[in-house]
Parts: sequence; C-alpha cells; structure tokens
Amino acid sequence: MRRVIKVAAIAMAGALTLAACGGDSDGGGASAGSSVSPASYKVGLAYDIGGRGDQSFNDAAARGLDQAQKEFNFEKKELEASAGETDAQKEERLRLLATGGYNPIIAVGFAYATALKAVSAEFPDTSFAIIDDASFTAANVANLVFAEEQGSFLVGAIAASASKTGNIGFIGGVNTPLLQKFEAGYTQGAKAVNADITVQVKYLTQPPDFTGFNDPAKGKTTAQGMIDNKADVVYAAAGGSGSGAFEAAKAAAGPWGIGVDSDQYKLPSLAKVKDIILTSMIKRVDVAVYQFVKSYNDGAPATGIQTFDLAKEGVGYSTSNPAVAEYTAKADEFKEKIISGEITVSAKP
Amino acid sequence: MSAVTTESVAPPQGRPRLGANRRLWRTLYLLSAIMLLLSFVRVVSDAQDITSAGTFAAALGLAVPIAMAGLGGLWSERSGVVNIGLEGMMILGTWGMGWAAYQWGPWVGLLAAIAFGALGGLLHALATVTFGVDQIVSGVAINILALGLTQYLSAVAFEGVEGGGPTQSPRFDAISTVSVPGVDSLLSPIADKDWFFVSDVANLIIGLTTGVSLITVLAILLLVASFVVLWRTAFGLRLRSCGENPWAAESLGVRVYRYKYVAVVMSGVFAGIGGAYLADAANIYREGQTGGRGYIGLAAMIFGNWRPAGLASGAGLFGYIDALQLRQGGTSVHALLLAAAILLGLFAAIQLWRQRWVSGAVVGVIGAVVLWWYLVTDEVAGEIASIAPYVTTLLVLALASQRLRMPAADGQIYRRGESH
Repeated sequence: MRRVIKVAAIAMAGALTLAACGGDSDGGGASAGSSVSPASYKVGLAYDIGGRGDQSFNDAAARGLDQAQKEFNFEKKELEASAGETDAQKEERLRLLATGGYNPIIAVGFAYATALKAVSAEFPDTSFAIIDDASFTAANVANLVFAEEQGSFLVGAIAASASKTGNIGFIGGVNTPLLQKFEAGYTQGAKAVNADITVQVKYLTQPPDFTGFNDPAKGKTTAQGMIDNKADVVYAAAGGSGSGAFEAAKAAAGPWGIGVDSDQYKLPSLAKVKDIILTSMIKRVDVAVYQFVKSYNDGAPATGIQTFDLAKEGVGYSTSNPAVAEYTAKADEFKEKIISGEITVSAKP
Repeated sequence: MSAVTTESVAPPQGRPRLGANRRLWRTLYLLSAIMLLLSFVRVVSDAQDITSAGTFAAALGLAVPIAMAGLGGLWSERSGVVNIGLEGMMILGTWGMGWAAYQWGPWVGLLAAIAFGALGGLLHALATVTFGVDQIVSGVAINILALGLTQYLSAVAFEGVEGGGPTQSPRFDAISTVSVPGVDSLLSPIADKDWFFVSDVANLIIGLTTGVSLITVLAILLLVASFVVLWRTAFGLRLRSCGENPWAAESLGVRVYRYKYVAVVMSGVFAGIGGAYLADAANIYREGQTGGRGYIGLAAMIFGNWRPAGLASGAGLFGYIDALQLRQGGTSVHALLLAAAILLGLFAAIQLWRQRWVSGAVVGVIGAVVLWWYLVTDEVAGEIASIAPYVTTLLVLALASQRLRMPAADGQIYRRGESH
C-alpha cells in the first residue's frame, strides 16, 4: 500500500509539473539563424493568454517580431500567460526577462499594465513597450495604442450600407474601455451612413470576468438573439467568441458577420464560414511591434504614447471577401475624411 | 376540471405513487402560472423576446452543460464525495470533443469526451476514496491539472494542424439536430398571432422541440435515467446509503469503496458530456470555454436540493435568464423587473396574511423598490443585465429553498473498517 501511495504521489507531482509547463512556449526558436554572428541584443516578448498560434492578437505580435528578426540581428525569448493568473505572476514574467538581460521587452495586451508599471520602475535602463494600454507613461515605456474607433468607424459604415433591415449588431467580448472604442467607432460609422439605424450592443461578460473572449457558445447565442431581432450585420469584437457569432450568421443564411483584429476571412479555422465574413476591422499589432523594435535597433527606442491610426496604417479594414467591393468606395471616402481631420471619431460610446 | 380529477383520484392518505401524480399536476400548475406571468409581462412591457421561441431554444442550450455538470455533482455527492473538480472534468470533456471530433466526427468526439471526463473522475475517486485525500483539495487539484494538461495537449495535438492552435482545435461539424415533425409548421401561425398566453405557450413548445441537438436529447434521458437508477433500484439505494451513512452501509455488506468509485467516475462522465455539448455548440474547442459552468452546475445541484428534477429546474432557470440577458439584455431584463416586483408583492402578501409582519413588510418594500425601478427606466444597463442570472438564482435560493438537506456523510472521509 505504501508503495502505491508513493507511486501515486510521484505521478501527481509529475502531472502538476506538466501542468505548470503547459504555458511556456519554446523560446529562441530562430536563434539557429543568428548562429553565424553573435546577437547584439535580446528581445523579450510576453504574450497575453493564448500566445503564439492564437490566430489573432498574439499571432499578430509574433508576426511583427518575426519580421523584425529577419531584418535585424537579435536573439529572442517568448513567454506566454495562462488563464486566470494574477498580476504577481505577470510581474514575475517581466522581471524574469529583465533580469535575464532582455532589452527591449514587449508586453502584449492591456492585462500587463499593472505589472509593467511596477517592473519598468525597477529596471530604468531597460526599454519596455506595452500594447493596447495608455493608463500610465514612463520614460522607458512605449505605449503602443491603436485608433480602433477609426477602423471600426469604417466597418460600421460598411455594415450600415450592407444592412437591408436598418438594424445591425455589435458583440463585445468584455466590457472594457478598450472594447468600448470599437463600439463607439462602429456606431458612429453606421450613423454616418444611416442616421436612423438601430445598433444592438451586447458585451458577453463584465470585467473582471474575461471569459467573454473565449466563449463561442455565448457568442453564438447572442448573435442568434440579434438576428432574431432583425439585425442583418453583426460585428464580433470578441476574440475567440467571434467564431460562434459567425456560426450563428452562417446558420441563419443571410446575415453578414464582421471580424476583428486580423483578416478573419483568411483564417483557416473559419474557412467553413468565411463566405459570410463581409470584412474585418484590422489592427496592425505586427506593425506596432516591428516599429518599436526598429526604433530600438536604430538607437532611439520609442517612448510615450504611440498611436497607430488610419494615417499610419495602424488600423483598417480587409477587402479579401469579394462581396465587400460594392461598399469600399464609400468606406474609402470616409477614410480620407478621417485622415484629413474632416471627421473626428470619438473613442467613447 | 383537472383539479377535480386529482381530488377524486387522490385518497386522503396519498400513497407515494399518487403523491407523484399530484406533484406532476402541481408542476403543471406552476408552469402555467409562470407562463401567465411572463405573458402578462411581455404584453405590458412589449419585450417580445422574453417568450420568443428563440429564447426558449437558447435557454435549453445554455441549461444543458450546467445540468450535466450538476448531474455529475449529484451522483458524486449522493455517494458522499464532494466534487469541486467538475469544472476540470468539463474542461477535459471539451478538449476530448475537440480533439476527436475534427478527426473522426462528433460522435467519436462525444465518446472521447466521456472517456476524458471519466478519467478525471477516476483520478478524483483514486485520490479521495482509495487514499482518503481531502475532497476539496483533490477537486481543486483536478481543476488546475485539467487546465494545464489540456494546454499541454493542445500544443502537442493542434499546433500545425490547419485551423488549430495552442488554444483551439480545428473546427468540426456539430452533432445533428432533430425536430418533432410538424410542430413548427403547425404552431408557427399561432405563435405569430401575438395572442396572450396561447402564443407564448406555442413559442415554448416550438423552442423546445425544434432544432434540438441530439446531445440535449441524451442529456434529458440521462436526467430521467439517473432518477430511476438512484431512487428506484437497489443499486441506487445502496449508492445513496454510502452518502448518508457509509459505516451503516458497510455493516450491512455494501461495498462502499466500489459504489463510491462508480459514482465518482459517472460524475466525470456526465461532466464530460457537458463539456462535449459546449464544444459541440461552438463547433470548436477553445481554451477556457467552460467559463466556470462546472461551478454553476454544482450550484444548480444545491439549488435543486440534491435531486434530479430540482437541479434540472435550477439549470433551466439559470439558462433561461442567461438566454434573456445574452439575446436582448436591456429590454428583457427590464421586463423581468416587473415579474420580480409582482412575485415579491405576492410573497409579501402571503407573509402578511400569515401574520409574519416583519418579513412581509421587508419583502413588500423591496418589491416596491423594484417596481419603482421598472417604472422610471426603459432599459437595464448592460452591467446589470449580465449579472441577472446570478442574482435571480440567489434570490430564488434565498426566498424559496429554506429546507435544503445534503447527504449526511457528504464530504466526510470514509475508511473501510473504521466504523464507529
């Protein structure tokens, strides 16, 4: 009996270790390329939940890093967050990178804001960047933020043009100020085309419950509800829950879906429903990451709030679905007006 | 007329079987009363969605995973093992579904989900029954383990697969849905008439019989089967005796360990089915998609007083309110305020009639506040709509369920041969 308990204890411990390892991704994958000449500096990247391969936000950051690595000579390490972790764990991750000599360090996602505020003060000689957060600024931190309201304005205008019922929907993953920027722009864009349009708005969860980004079943139920109540275009700014919304639109045969962050029409995981994805609001996280690494490489690391807007090609909309062609002329017209300043898009709903 | 029938059939000292009959009628009356209330609220507030067929269908869909988790909890706790690891077993189920379904179809996915859930249950049984580990500790460990294990397995199994990634499986086709033939075409004209009560009932029937996933059908059968097995067979009696007094059961020759093993493994099976449903409804496995439904299932079981029918109504209530807030949150939850005010008013009147002055007055004042809230607003803010399912469940628990009784030896560590 004693031996059985011992074996079980070892098995349990092993399993827990395995569990702890689950979140780590293999770093330095591309160091093989730089084996010829020694890397001059080391870039650290801390992902949000999902990490490399999430086909969304984190993947875009990874793309930017890969592109930078192709052009500049550096070593890299990538760490990723696990679901439901605390700020202390995030701090620990950033500190691990900083003490390991990684500089610059990029934190992907607003979830790192509190942790980065603490760690950036501890390491004044290290350059940091955070994506999607401008809640604090520091001399050694670049806040890489996007004008999501501008990109959302354009897809809102497209939605209103494509809608026959004069009723469209917006699904936000979690009710945070960041997601409210999407809602605000979308509504303003839709109203610019059709002042009488009805916009149904629903956030799947309220913070601190962030499951709304990973609950496709809820996304589906919500989209069905909107479609049953006459919406014929649904914009899903809800991360992984968006696929559920597209399933609902596909099943209803007729309504359009609008994707977010990357060109979701081209994502392999959505290939079966892609014909109903009219367009996607694109957020060029890759551009932001690349630009930041480039600025470090050039010897003048960016600091302070860096806004990537329509003018900087930091946001936009995708045209890979041929069906969107008939609405692009109007959207581009709005785009020019926003860039020239004729239209200002508010970030608050 | 129906009241007369029951009166004439039931003898003064109702034997159990006739008691069940009367309970059925009572359930029907209660359901009709609820539908009347909802129809009334719908007409007054013009919140059409609260009794639409789509809402009832969505409610059923949202209730299934919660009911399955709750059923898992029921089996486990009826045998005396607290199972806080349901969430983890559900996670294993979602992963098993995603992993097998995209390769070999959803039915194999369901079997894999069952197998994965059962493995989680087996681990819990091994820890708590064989080794006597604290049941809460083991359950929490399983939740952590399941999350880490599925993250690891996803990285191994889904990375590099077309459409998959470290946090999600490739898309797969869902298990097919069935409809009772003729119901939709027969009742839709009635439902569209907007008649008071009649159209609402038509919508309810359409919602519950049209486009129902076969897993839902399976889930309902499992609920009924669980009742029959646990309360109408010798096996069930022995299993429940392990949860009430394992030492007495042991003295009568019941193999307590074996029964607990069966119950906890079955618990994992049901949680796995709940997970499979969740992945199936979304056509994809996605990390974190259980979203705490295992815990809500546990709450539904407590809500239902450790009984299948009770946990089903708990899950149904939660699913219904969740469907309302997800579909047309602002207006539907606003309309519910009126329903809540009416119910609180009735409750207050009953309390006052029974001369319970203090509680009657307190509930009456709360009802008046809710009514005032309903009257001065047109919509409920999104933040409040989102918490409506939880608030409702809490309220019903607080007002109606004062006589909960859990199995007497639930959560206690039992060692063979240590009877006292």
